[in-house]
Amino acid sequence: MEKQTSECILSIKDVSKSFPGVKALQKVSFDVRRGSVHGLVGENGAGKSTLMKILSGVYQKDAASGTVIFDGETIEHTTPHESMQRGLAIIYQELNLVNTMSVGENIFLGRFKEMKGMRGTHTSARELLDRIDCKIDTHKLVSELSVSEKQMVEIAKALSFKSKLIIMDEPSSSLTAEELVELVKIIHQLKEQGISIIYISHKLDEIFDFCDVVTIMRDGQIIDTKAKVDLTRDEMITKMVGRSIENEYPERPQNVGVTLMEVLSLNTLKLHDVSFTLKKGEILGLVGLVGAGRTEIVRALFGADKTEGHQILINGSAVRIKNPNDAKHAGFGFVPEDRKLQGLVLPFSVEANISMASFEKFTKFGFISKSKESEIGIRQAKALAVKTPSTKTPVKNLSGGNQQKCIIGRWLENDPRIFIMDEPTRGIDVGAKYEIYVLMKAIAEKGGAVILISSELPEVLNMSNRVLTLFEGRITGEFNPQTASADQIMRAALGMTEGSVKP
Amino acid sequence: MTIMESSAPLLKLATKQKAFVAIVGMLVLMLFFDTNFYTTYNLLDMLNSTSILLILAFGVSLTVISAGCDLSIGGIMVVAGIIAIKLMDVMPMWGAILCALVFGAFVGFVNGFLVVQQKTEPFIITLGMGMLLTGVAQQLTDARPVPASNPDFMMIGNGDLFGMPYLVIIMLVCFALAHWLMRYTQYGRNLYAIGGDYEVALYSGIDVVRTKWIAFVISGVGAALAGVLLSSKLNTGSSIYGETAALIVNCGVVVGGTSFAGGIGGIPQSALGLLVFGILDNAMNMLGITSYIQILLKGAIIVGIIWMDCFYQKRKRELV
Amino acid sequence: MKKNFSAIGQGLFRNYVLIAILALVAVTMLVEPNFMTFANLINIMRQFGPLVMVSLGMTFVIIGGFIDLSVAGTISLVAVVTVTLIDPIGQVPAILVGLAVGALCGYINSVLVLSSGALTQAEALFITFGMSTVYSAIALMYSGGSTKHMRFLKGDTSVIEALGQGSVGIFSVSFLVFLVCLAVLWVFQTQTRMGRAICLTGGNKTAAHLCGVPVSRSIIAIYTISGFMAAIGAIILFSRITTASPVIGAGYETNAILAVVVGGTTLKGGKGSVLRTVMGVLLVILMSNCLNLLGVTPYMQVVTKGAILVIAIWLDNRTQI
Repeated sequence: MEKQTSECILSIKDVSKSFPGVKALQKVSFDVRRGSVHGLVGENGAGKSTLMKILSGVYQKDAASGTVIFDGETIEHTTPHESMQRGLAIIYQELNLVNTMSVGENIFLGRFKEMKGMRGTHTSARELLDRIDCKIDTHKLVSELSVSEKQMVEIAKALSFKSKLIIMDEPSSSLTAEELVELVKIIHQLKEQGISIIYISHKLDEIFDFCDVVTIMRDGQIIDTKAKVDLTRDEMITKMVGRSIENEYPERPQNVGVTLMEVLSLNTLKLHDVSFTLKKGEILGLVGLVGAGRTEIVRALFGADKTEGHQILINGSAVRIKNPNDAKHAGFGFVPEDRKLQGLVLPFSVEANISMASFEKFTKFGFISKSKESEIGIRQAKALAVKTPSTKTPVKNLSGGNQQKCIIGRWLENDPRIFIMDEPTRGIDVGAKYEIYVLMKAIAEKGGAVILISSELPEVLNMSNRVLTLFEGRITGEFNPQTASADQIMRAALGMTEGSVKP
Repeated sequence: MTIMESSAPLLKLATKQKAFVAIVGMLVLMLFFDTNFYTTYNLLDMLNSTSILLILAFGVSLTVISAGCDLSIGGIMVVAGIIAIKLMDVMPMWGAILCALVFGAFVGFVNGFLVVQQKTEPFIITLGMGMLLTGVAQQLTDARPVPASNPDFMMIGNGDLFGMPYLVIIMLVCFALAHWLMRYTQYGRNLYAIGGDYEVALYSGIDVVRTKWIAFVISGVGAALAGVLLSSKLNTGSSIYGETAALIVNCGVVVGGTSFAGGIGGIPQSALGLLVFGILDNAMNMLGITSYIQILLKGAIIVGIIWMDCFYQKRKRELV
Repeated sequence: MKKNFSAIGQGLFRNYVLIAILALVAVTMLVEPNFMTFANLINIMRQFGPLVMVSLGMTFVIIGGFIDLSVAGTISLVAVVTVTLIDPIGQVPAILVGLAVGALCGYINSVLVLSSGALTQAEALFITFGMSTVYSAIALMYSGGSTKHMRFLKGDTSVIEALGQGSVGIFSVSFLVFLVCLAVLWVFQTQTRMGRAICLTGGNKTAAHLCGVPVSRSIIAIYTISGFMAAIGAIILFSRITTASPVIGAGYETNAILAVVVGGTTLKGGKGSVLRTVMGVLLVILMSNCLNLLGVTPYMQVVTKGAILVIAIWLDNRTQI
């Protein structure tokens, strides 16, 4: 026992965490040795984020469930700040920096006095950045930095707390290849300085490249912890995925037909000359890093953003879409990325949320027919098996999956031929996910088409007939996920190759 | 390049340096008119009249930088002034002034409770508070000005030291204090962090609730101080000036570059913003513009400024 | 647990206010015999008219997720313009012009709010408050700062007089006008597409926009309605006293917001009801009346109203979390 604590910087045993209705973590145990780079892999929803948030103090583990020992000290209850002070730093994917303040001030946020004012802050910040060979001016505002530069600042911040363990949550998701090389260099430097790293990622290449040990998680549980040398890729993937893939996704739509829509020369601040086609009966997946421009494309198509100069042809004839109303009449449907902020009117009833895109169907001469509206609500709720006490219940009382179904039902009411879905299964439990996949397939099979955006690569690859990769606003490739490998597709999405493998 | 794109840098400059541009514009404009604008007497007088609004602005800036606002300052100002004058009948002058300041701190405390602890929208609840206090002021004075009984008191607002009015000196002291607080102390930097990103500040161990709450208390004290000085200047306690002061000061702060979104701006910027209104007032008087048109112009300018600020935010959003 | 309290909180608050005011009424009835007199009840009905019109308009703006602080200026401007035009063009045309002016003021507000891309209530607050100053200033300039009186020409059937003093059966004409307005607005809010669009805009503007709901038109509608209703209020007010001071509208915005919030419509937008606002107006007026009869100074009434407004906003915020 004693020997273990001095070897390991972090020791977790039987930690559990539940949220209302969901068991996020079940008896999780693993150890992180000092000075190692410890990879943590698992699909979305495996529990990696939850675990990290417990370590960093954002969440608290379930009372009396297991122990967390950090640097020899048993930790029961902690806050983010205390955690930092103990030497456990975490660099989130969403980056925890104040955009309106300078680099130097961000590194020493809340410690102005300690640093003896502005001058001391910037001097010390400069020292820290130099330690990781970073040339950024400490007076620059964080809002002016690139993602990789922001990460450097976060690392410097962790160093300023004399961190012994740094957790990096999907650090490479927004980096270019060169920036990733830089990051790996820094990770090695940190390792040499005796700092341990937990590297969370689902980029298997990176895990194999520079991690010493790998822990695999799935469905809130630890499946295995092994030294990299003892692990093969196949073994890792199998353990990550667990059940056979056939049960997780329905079959792809089979009858892909002629071109339904053509998009030509879409140019915005972020997008550069985007052109593509959409075929009848297919699910088209858009793959790319966060910020590559996927949402921008669909918002431009849907008229949600002001764009001009592009052309949209549906069934050969040009269509002008200047606002969502035009898009609606052109046969589009749109499930937005953030259902709470952009999709639902939370205090309103299920019925009202479902009917809000189909006014023409239940109003006459400007007057609402309550009975017709009720019909619509009941019809869609039934068709999509929305679990709700009644269609008059406020939609905020429903679970995420059921809320999402309401939004889908809203658009299905209009029988759209082009259905855009932006992260449709985010934050939804596995059962509901499958139901949504089935819905997507049904839409395609009825003769429409679906454009799918998802950050979960397996989802896009398994559901799409065709995949377009996007990098920095440009389409970098077109693939058939049944024949191309996930690696090929990811490389294109990371801007590493220009090319396409036609189906 | 479309017109929108080519005008963007100019628009950006105009909105970022609104105050500076406006001040230069007005100063240049006044060169064309034959008035007493450019006399030492007038320039000093202008500074003198704006001093009270400036003191209000310094306190309010703290709340705005932390992503809030304080529209109750007008109400606090008038009630504090009345309290000072009335209490001066029964206690020494400095005691009365202290009571007025304590009152300001108290109202600030309540504001802080409602906005920070109870998480209510600051703009409308401080507006309501201001209205309540204006009513209190009217109640205390029966809507008539209450004359001061203490001749020393009048000296504060009207006397001078070697030609420099006390008011301006006090204002400069407040300026220095507020600027030092915001730029060189941990408290001030924490306020910027809270305004810039509440969550990040929270996770960094900053006591966001207490820090923001104190900002409201300081704003209240500042408003009370302004009220005492105003009463001293007019030598009466009156209930009228409160209503528009809140609006003008909050807008002035935005003009200067301290945005309601929080996290940016500062004391010098707010001062510049208020000077825009101060110079405007003075210039309009110099040009002999009738009072109704002055009201009209001020209203139009306020609308214009807020409109430009919103429009700039909108363009920033759309340029995605 | 917390959710329960919040839901009850709003209900309790409304009930507390209701109970408090009924208690006040009861006390007044006992202490002050003048309360139950015909004259006093007429008095209550008279004050009801103008305020309820403005408040009904304000309800729409608030449901739509915004706020309108310009009604004071609009009322003053409409009153002054109407009174000055009666001589040259006659009563009915003058009233029509007045209504048009009110609607125009509201429309201008909506254009400013829309074009600036203002998203929040705070921004709309500043813009409309500024416009109130502008409209008041115009009223002051137009009237030269003096109160305008209406001149009665002999033998002229006075619409104004009918409006102000006349009655059909036991109901005063202005009460009938109110009933008609209420009916129209209630139908508009609950039964029409535009009414629903306004609620959706207030509920979640982004979501509404993405569903093709006419958000811009809704914003234009709410402010124009507010301006128009303020104009009706101004004309009813003016018809009673037949004089129009250029600051006649002062204070109406506070009272209207108070009435809407006390009535139970949330400041967060999306949900609300004109019927509830009517209740709120009644409560506010009863309260004023009782306090008056009990000898409370007008200023203390302002203080009380301010306090209730602050408490109402505070509790309203708590319920919606």
